[in-house]
Amino acid sequence: MLINLVLKDLMLVKKYLFVLLVFAAIGPIYISSKVDFNNGGLVGFLLTVLLLEYILFGMVSKFEDKYKGAALLCATPYTRNSFVKAKYLFIFVIFICSVIIHIITSVIMPSGIEKLNITTLGITFLILSIIFGILIPVQFKFGYDKTKLISFFTIFLIPFVFPAVIGWFQSNHISFAITFPFPFPEIIQAWIPCFLALVIGCVSMVISLKIYAKKDL
Amino acid sequence: MTPILEVKNLNKTYNNFSLKDVTFSLNKDCITGFIGTNGSGKTTTIKAILGLILKDSGKIKFSGMDMDDNERKSKNKIGIVLDEGYFYEELTLKEMKNVIAPCYTEWDEAVFSAYIKQFDLKLDQKIATLSKGMRMKYAVALALSHHADLLIMDEPTSGLDPLVRSELMDILLNFMKEPGKSVFFSTHITSDLDKIADMIILIDDGRIIVNEEKDELLDTHALVKGDNRFINEQTQKLFLTLHQSPYGFEGITRKKKDVRRLMPDVLMERPTVEDIMLTYIGGNNNAN
Repeated sequence: MLINLVLKDLMLVKKYLFVLLVFAAIGPIYISSKVDFNNGGLVGFLLTVLLLEYILFGMVSKFEDKYKGAALLCATPYTRNSFVKAKYLFIFVIFICSVIIHIITSVIMPSGIEKLNITTLGITFLILSIIFGILIPVQFKFGYDKTKLISFFTIFLIPFVFPAVIGWFQSNHISFAITFPFPFPEIIQAWIPCFLALVIGCVSMVISLKIYAKKDL
Repeated sequence: MTPILEVKNLNKTYNNFSLKDVTFSLNKDCITGFIGTNGSGKTTTIKAILGLILKDSGKIKFSGMDMDDNERKSKNKIGIVLDEGYFYEELTLKEMKNVIAPCYTEWDEAVFSAYIKQFDLKLDQKIATLSKGMRMKYAVALALSHHADLLIMDEPTSGLDPLVRSELMDILLNFMKEPGKSVFFSTHITSDLDKIADMIILIDDGRIIVNEEKDELLDTHALVKGDNRFINEQTQKLFLTLHQSPYGFEGITRKKKDVRRLMPDVLMERPTVEDIMLTYIGGNNNAN
């Protein structure tokens, strides 16, 4: 049943979907052609996926806010729980589509794009999970318009807050290098960001379910 | 009669409005009209039944099952037509149907297609381009295509022309031909209920004022018209509402025998549902 709600979200943005999927294919190529970060294509893939997800999620949220379709869906056997879970599945489906598009592009144009490795995949999934893990519950709590405002101020504050935070870390000699306290095999360490992303996603979903269960539609 | 839906002591408080111990039950094989003025609590009650707003207290049972504990199972047998539609207008009729249909275990594509044909709707048309009447018909087609036992409609006739309203009444009567079906129909256009309702529930300021069989309600009340000379201190008390003008009086009574006895030459008519509604909520309570 959940997949039908995800399809509904995709149908709502169908006009823009093709253009955005093309963007998912050429975005990383363009970024890596202009700037070489030498990081296994992480920056190009991460920025493309983040932008794609943010635009699509924003459009779907705008339509949800405009048509109030949630009221009709929650009055059917879909219930509120399915409606909330489908939003997370939507983000995940778009992520998987981006991965597939990236893989296909790297096969077709091996010189233009770096092959996706597990680290790039894991870190992108983790960052995506953190951002949408915060954004989705906030949106269920405060609604689309207020969340837009909160997002705007957050993005506005980042250039001011970020250097201060980095400075604080540096003055306290705190390193960003990820080290795991246990001697996990390399393959497990590589999958840890994906695992963390899933845990964050699940925790966020439980919070969203609790918030939405108390909402008057 | 067996109740299909039971609402007990439903309470919900907003800043400036509250539902107060709303209690009623809907019987099988009955069309129940839920009437009241705008803002009386009809939509809030329906939304609380459907779980769209959280009730402060109260129990709602569907076919004997607690709706909170059996939400999916209950909603699978309820068809809904909401006042504003709540459709994704960006989608076509077919796309919206493809979203709704999979959640019902008994969705019947043949029934849906028959309704679409009967209502002369086009599946590739965008919902945004539908007229209000067409949108209501589409909502009815969605609500009746999964073999629902109870059809809940919130102000379906509001803003519709008389022809479409009449068509809707025929659809409901047709739906009721199958045994075990029920309709719960909120409206402030009471003339629709004169034709089809079996039961009338009147809500005012969040409180249920009347909950009776329509025929009994209309039979026990009478619209009385006559000359002003019949109105005196004693006869005035027989009326629930009484309006006097230089040409005569008009009033609603529940004491038909006493009126006949004390005012033999007055005209007694069967009231309409609207007369009854205005009697109980109009604020012209004269006699009591």
